Amino acid sequence: MKKANTRKKYGTLISYLWSAPSLILICLIVIFPILYTGYISLTNMNVYHWFTYDVIGLRNYREALLVFDSGFLSALLLTVVWTVANMILQLVIAYLLANLLNTKGLRLRNCYRTLLIVPWAMPGYVSILLWKTGMFNSQFGLLNQWMEKLGFSPVRWLANDISAFVCCTIVNLWLALPFMITIIDGALQSVDQSYYESALLDGAGWLQRTRYITIPAIRPIIAPSVVITIFTTFKQFDVIYLLTQQAGAKTGAHIHTILTYAYENAFITNNYGYSSAVSMIIFVILILFSYVINMKPKEES
Amino acid sequence: MKKILSLLLSLTLSIGLLCGCGAHGKALTEEEKNTIVIWHDKEDAVSSALLAELERLVPDVVVQLEYKSNLTEALKMVGNDPNAAPDMYFFAHDKIGVYAEMGILAPITDLIDRETLASSYVGMTLDAATYQGELYQLPIYFETLLFMYNRLYMADDQVPETTEELYAYMEQKTRGGHYGFVEQHSTAYYSAGWIHGFGGYILNENGDVGLHLPETIAAMEYHKKFVEWMPGESEYATVNTLFQEGKAHATIGGPWLVSSARAAGMDLGIAPMPVIDETSLPISPYMGVQGVQVLRYAAENKTEAVTRILEALMDPEVGIALAKVSGCAPAVEACYENEDVTADDVVMAMRETAEHTIPMPNRPEMDIMWTVVADLLVNINMSGQDVTASCEDAQKKAEDLIRKMQ
Repeated sequence: MKKANTRKKYGTLISYLWSAPSLILICLIVIFPILYTGYISLTNMNVYHWFTYDVIGLRNYREALLVFDSGFLSALLLTVVWTVANMILQLVIAYLLANLLNTKGLRLRNCYRTLLIVPWAMPGYVSILLWKTGMFNSQFGLLNQWMEKLGFSPVRWLANDISAFVCCTIVNLWLALPFMITIIDGALQSVDQSYYESALLDGAGWLQRTRYITIPAIRPIIAPSVVITIFTTFKQFDVIYLLTQQAGAKTGAHIHTILTYAYENAFITNNYGYSSAVSMIIFVILILFSYVINMKPKEES
Repeated sequence: MKKILSLLLSLTLSIGLLCGCGAHGKALTEEEKNTIVIWHDKEDAVSSALLAELERLVPDVVVQLEYKSNLTEALKMVGNDPNAAPDMYFFAHDKIGVYAEMGILAPITDLIDRETLASSYVGMTLDAATYQGELYQLPIYFETLLFMYNRLYMADDQVPETTEELYAYMEQKTRGGHYGFVEQHSTAYYSAGWIHGFGGYILNENGDVGLHLPETIAAMEYHKKFVEWMPGESEYATVNTLFQEGKAHATIGGPWLVSSARAAGMDLGIAPMPVIDETSLPISPYMGVQGVQVLRYAAENKTEAVTRILEALMDPEVGIALAKVSGCAPAVEACYENEDVTADDVVMAMRETAEHTIPMPNRPEMDIMWTVVADLLVNINMSGQDVTASCEDAQKKAEDLIRKMQ
């Protein structure tokens, strides 16, 4: 009994040693920055006390909570709307496209697959700016060239909140769809064909097959990627910032997610203590958010 | 055997990961004392001209010019670490406040006599390089915005002398995809010229925010009517492409536009800034001074080599060589005795504009003002919000953010 116990302990120790390199790496690049941000948030590290900062307790948090004013609340609401809208559209479109890719007898399947993944291969920054000048620009953009050809006057797509929101969503879909399509495409291929055959024999239509076979079968496979995408969408910064608020190129739309709001109201102060406090609070909000999202599957199982 | 090997491997990996965490530091050798690292963010033409001049003037000091695209952020991270920081850096004057407050810069006057400096530089450049009474930069050249026009559309006698003439021209010529005049109307750097022309300011040398001043509000109100005749997009790419492609007759832009416009075959004219009718002052843009800053560690430990480089940089030949490749105006007064310099109409126009320019504020607070003023301009010019109320809101926001910097 005792021998088995020491053996087990020895085994645990060895496994830890084996995974030590990756554990250390995770600690260095994930855990350490969070802890360090937490530490900085308790200090007065700013331009005037850059290398000689002191711990000042929770004073930064008192200031930081003031950032979470009505402007922040509407940014939070918009972030939720943004996440939900993007997720629904992403799942529906990716599901349809993946289904089309899996149509029996489809020719040039690999060619379509490659084409669909192209947006992913481009750096996001480049894609976003290409969309901004190539599509939405009121002087040179493709959309306005079409508008002019059709006899309408040019529109400044990014100048008002609603159309800017739609434009941002389109660009975000363009950037995010390849990932979703790949995942769903892979998931669809793993569904056992015999289920469909028996369903067909029982006279089930496409809708019924989708609802009772496909979706339950692929759900566990795509669930993790959905959670990941929810997070990346929730903390999306580049798309909205680069399209509407880039320094020197603001367009007039006032759509703020919590991150762009925090950037404009805290990070530009060069006050690292204060900005870290804001980051820590956003971090807590994200943790709560992930807790809420993860709660549901557990209840079901 | 395999097991032991893999264990050894993971051990070495773990140790390897933790390596490099350790302290070091020892006295400098003679060779190290004679090697000066200068960070910069300039194009190749400028940096190689600078290096060639330094090699000629101080052949026995080893100079290493290193390009840093994110120079300002990199300096914040490593500014007081002698192992990672440069000895000097070559950059615009507007960041010296930030670094001086951080305590990483040494005043130039610790190394060079103040009297010598005062007598040999274009006056405004030394003002720009001074933060709270201390001189932190040795100016090399400066740049300002210029009024440029395309002679294909705007003849020399059509060039507006006043802003009302400019407005009339815009009203008359803006149609069918052509614009009489374009500028980056909703960015702080460009609108500052109009604000100064009315006697207002964004941030003064005491760190006061001037967005709620009646002069600033008047400038915003007046400038708005010009915006109506310009494209809604005001970012760099749109405005410059319109001008370069001959769709805009005139613009206010920096010297960096000149070479590409000329290369594209444009007959480019440069004129003095239009005078604002109401105040009789010309549009007075910001001036940026490019120069060399010395880090404190280098000033204390490599005094001799650093001083020799600074002295070399005061040689008019350096200013002339750099002005030629950068297209900017040299900061050393004696450079204007050189015929190549006086023959360059862009450089001379900048020298003239410099009489009315205001040095870009070099206080740390300016980092905030760029964003706040851009927001304000967008609210007024693009969203059509009330000018006075927007200015007052922006003033409050700027003051609040500045308080939070502390």
